[in-house]
Amino acid sequence: MKTAILRRVLSAVVIFTLALSLSVIAYADDGDFRTLDEIKDSGVINIGVFSDKSPFGYVDENGDYQGYDVYFAERIGQDLGVDINYVSTEAANRIEYLQTGKVDIILANFTVTEERAEEVDFALPYMNVALGVVSPEDAVIESLDDIGEDDQVIVISGTTAETYLVKNYPDIKLQKYDAYAEAKTALENGNGAAWANDNTEVIAFAIENPGFTVGIPSLGSADTIAPAVTKGNDTLLDWLNEEIEALGEEEFFHADYEATLLDTYGADYEDTLVVEGGVAAGTDAAAAND
Amino acid sequence: MDFEAMREYLPLFKDALALTVRIGWQGVLLAFLIGIACAIIQHMRLPVLRTVAAVYIELFRNTPLLVQLFFLYFALPKIGLRISAELCGVLGLGLLGGAYMAETIRSGLESIAPIQSESAQSLGMTGMQAFRYVILPQAVSRSVPGLIANVIFLLKETSVFSTVSLMDLMFTAKDLIGMYAKTMECLTLLVVFYLIMLLPVSVLGSLVERRLRHAEFGP
Repeated sequence: MKTAILRRVLSAVVIFTLALSLSVIAYADDGDFRTLDEIKDSGVINIGVFSDKSPFGYVDENGDYQGYDVYFAERIGQDLGVDINYVSTEAANRIEYLQTGKVDIILANFTVTEERAEEVDFALPYMNVALGVVSPEDAVIESLDDIGEDDQVIVISGTTAETYLVKNYPDIKLQKYDAYAEAKTALENGNGAAWANDNTEVIAFAIENPGFTVGIPSLGSADTIAPAVTKGNDTLLDWLNEEIEALGEEEFFHADYEATLLDTYGADYEDTLVVEGGVAAGTDAAAAND
Repeated sequence: MDFEAMREYLPLFKDALALTVRIGWQGVLLAFLIGIACAIIQHMRLPVLRTVAAVYIELFRNTPLLVQLFFLYFALPKIGLRISAELCGVLGLGLLGGAYMAETIRSGLESIAPIQSESAQSLGMTGMQAFRYVILPQAVSRSVPGLIANVIFLLKETSVFSTVSLMDLMFTAKDLIGMYAKTMECLTLLVVFYLIMLLPVSVLGSLVERRLRHAEFGP
């Protein structure tokens, strides 16, 4: 009888210890990253990009990654002298992928926000962005007040548009998707009254899909988009910042725009969107907002 | 662990649990109805209907729920048939589950040796009586473990609902992680809520199983 009780107590202790050590391991995993030298030694850098967000990060008909983000990623690989392993990511996974060391850099149209900056380290920005709302031409939403009680607004889980609407318009019903492709199909099918996302993205959608128009071209704060690395990965962060500053001298991101975005947006948006040398006009405003 | 944050997320997880359970059980109910209908059709060897049931079973057993949901939600509207996300979830689960349930019930019926039916009839029972008093009780008791496993399987399949914008438990957790990056907290809550939903099913299932064994072996 006594040994039976002892056995139970012992097994409880063992289970408790196991659980504890598991959670410790989970926490220890947090700071998992590769330094600049480790990346160079391995000869491969892992970069997280979108695979369904044309024209910023997408896979073309030949199966190759293309877009504004990818054009920059290619240059990073070239200047580091390493091969690139592209890792396809979804909006909601971007922080996770960095924290678990699945990627070294996230270059997936990642908007700089205060909440995110607590979890990852952002390098200097390379693009401007605000939010926008696209809706069908026959029922254009020109203000968020136009949205009826029963209407749903499509957003993508893990984007700044979602966070903005949850915070500032808690009464608006959101219809959430976890991938761009699904959100776009849902809008085409008329499952929602409108789609809120980065304005770059909704403008591109309206240009590619007749019958849709961007009723709200700019919403919320003027933000920037920057590469992100795992929190505390200073060697890689410093290198990225120097790289972005140096690329400013050759107007690299203007060339990037002309190679990847010109077809979609035309020349009008070039100066609005491109941030050269890490100096964004709206940086201060963005930090003060929120 | 940030317990303050966990408490804040609790209402969202409760909503998600309610939605998951509601759609999950409606789907399971539909699956039972379809499953029983198909099993009877196949057992009675009804012409034409039998082929229809066979095609249906193979079609839905051999395609993932994710694909079925995609089809119902994204493809059907292109031909003018729009179904709400919730109904898609119920239909998807019901159709997928129906195929599995049908196979489980059918294999239960077929596991009873034909000689039992023949013996019962030679003792003077009608075919219907033999089925009702001899075959069915044994078949049910043999099918139950499989049926309960199917129920648990179906309730867990709800985790792919995010694709049709249903805020089930899985999507709620993923969504919160995307917004606030509290991974440990959200995933812990997720596991706890799945257990809240499924442990009772599993425990009740074992009880029912033991109880029904009596049909085969007596008290």
